[in-house]
Amino acid sequence: MRPVRFSLARVGLIAGNTVREAARQRLFNLFVVLALMLVLGARWFRDFSFGAPELRFLADCGFGAMAFFGSALTITATAQLFFSEIENRTALTLLAKPVWRAEFIVGKLVGVAGLTLLFCGLLTVLLAAVLWTREGALMQEFPDNFAQGRVVSYAMVAGAGAMQWLKLLILGALVLLVASFAQTQTFAIVTGFLVLVICHLQHLALAAYERSGSLFGMTASAAIAWMFPNFQVFAWADSLAAADFPGWGQVARVVSYGLGYVGLGTALAVFCFRKREI
Amino acid sequence: MATPGATEAPAKVPAVEIRGLVKDFAIGLRGVKLRAVDHLDLTVEAGQVFGLLGPNGSGKSTTVKLLLGLLEPTAGQCRVFGVSSLRVEARREVGYLPEAPYFYRHLSGRELVHFYARLCGESGTGLGKRIADVIALVGLAEAADRRVGTYSKGMLQRIGLAQALVHDPRLLILDEPTAGVDPVGSAEMAALIGRLKAQGKTILITSHLLGQIEDICDRVAILDRGRLMVEGAVADLVNRAGRQSLVVEEMPPGELAALRAWMEARGRKLLAVEPAGRRLEQVFLEQVGRGKGEGETRP
Repeated sequence: MRPVRFSLARVGLIAGNTVREAARQRLFNLFVVLALMLVLGARWFRDFSFGAPELRFLADCGFGAMAFFGSALTITATAQLFFSEIENRTALTLLAKPVWRAEFIVGKLVGVAGLTLLFCGLLTVLLAAVLWTREGALMQEFPDNFAQGRVVSYAMVAGAGAMQWLKLLILGALVLLVASFAQTQTFAIVTGFLVLVICHLQHLALAAYERSGSLFGMTASAAIAWMFPNFQVFAWADSLAAADFPGWGQVARVVSYGLGYVGLGTALAVFCFRKREI
Repeated sequence: MATPGATEAPAKVPAVEIRGLVKDFAIGLRGVKLRAVDHLDLTVEAGQVFGLLGPNGSGKSTTVKLLLGLLEPTAGQCRVFGVSSLRVEARREVGYLPEAPYFYRHLSGRELVHFYARLCGESGTGLGKRIADVIALVGLAEAADRRVGTYSKGMLQRIGLAQALVHDPRLLILDEPTAGVDPVGSAEMAALIGRLKAQGKTILITSHLLGQIEDICDRVAILDRGRLMVEGAVADLVNRAGRQSLVVEEMPPGELAALRAWMEARGRKLLAVEPAGRRLEQVFLEQVGRGKGEGETRP
């Protein structure tokens, strides 16, 4: 009997179908439009920047929109795309084919990765275009401030966009892990937002517990630090100047850290889903 | 459509073999057990059309899911052409049409069949033709490029059958294939099943519509509350041994009395005289001009 091996081709098929399904949903289009409006609109409400440099403010707005709407999109789309397969029973037909359950889970995650890549890519390109245009205008208006040429490194903008995408990929893997054992979509979405908050604030909890000095505090902080990724490590766009590039070693560490959590989340999702009754 | 697999299978290996199958579901927080399938033993030989019958909740769909590896048995085992149903390999030879199928609404019928064909490992230059052939076989050629979201219930059943057939499986599992389909669609489905049987496919059908099953199945098993109540050839189960029906044109009472006397003189007994009935389904099909065997495709 010829064995059926894990197939990247089948993963690609499931992922492609997931992206196509998501891209045709109103939710995705709504988040994209809202995020685009925020990036484009930032140019007109820069007076509320409380003195921060204008280009910095534009970048903050762009990456803020990417993080906020991207997180909401990732959580809702991941849960919805997973549960639509279960509730509409399309998973029945799919898993009745010679398809491994691991291929289904990985395919879903790759599909979400494709969706968020589309989202982050679109916003990063738009943000770069807004920054480039505005920077050009400022160079003409205040030539003395740009004596050394452009101050924004567009490679840094692209890198910051890639880091946002990696963060969303981790979030997608964690939501998929929850969905793999959750009974309802609502539970998966609510838990997803809770996980998002914990991941953003875990460094504060960690610091607080470490300051406490107690054994319990230290143990709890270590547990939280291992269980939930620290999303602050992906915020490397504090400066967009080329001189502030953190170095390839640091980039490699952050990417490894992120991919480690993606791998762990996916592996646990596969484990939880392997015997789920469809 | 070729069925090379049908001749390659060792002659003695049944298409489906179920032994001592038990499935319990835990209900509620206290985990109270509900037994959906209760020590079921069944064998479906290759090339048969086998009907799995029973009322709602009798365990038919659960048995099918166990066969497809979508559920794990509490006890016992299922084998498909000798391979445990828990193995992915067992599903290579199976085409499955789920009950009340729901497919990706954003795909066209052709894209949907292509998607499932690729999942089954089908590829190459002949794939397009193969997809067109199965779509034509189920009578959806004209609607193949329409979105599945616009399909009627009957059309969903047909495209479901197309995706089940596209990788040329040896075993077809059809879960309530005519549920919610009008009599014309049901008759067409029955005709299609007949053609697939002629091609050597093994077909396992679950249904609670007994009239339809009686016409197309070689053997049936009746389940109730997860238990096998009876199993056998349809002819053996429905025919009353030692009796025959003769259908003749209406006879005047005198001739009927003479016939009765003629039979009694030969030691035979005329047990009943009643009008020859027709099934309502037959009347319906005649009235809408689509008797069985004709009009196998719908616009």
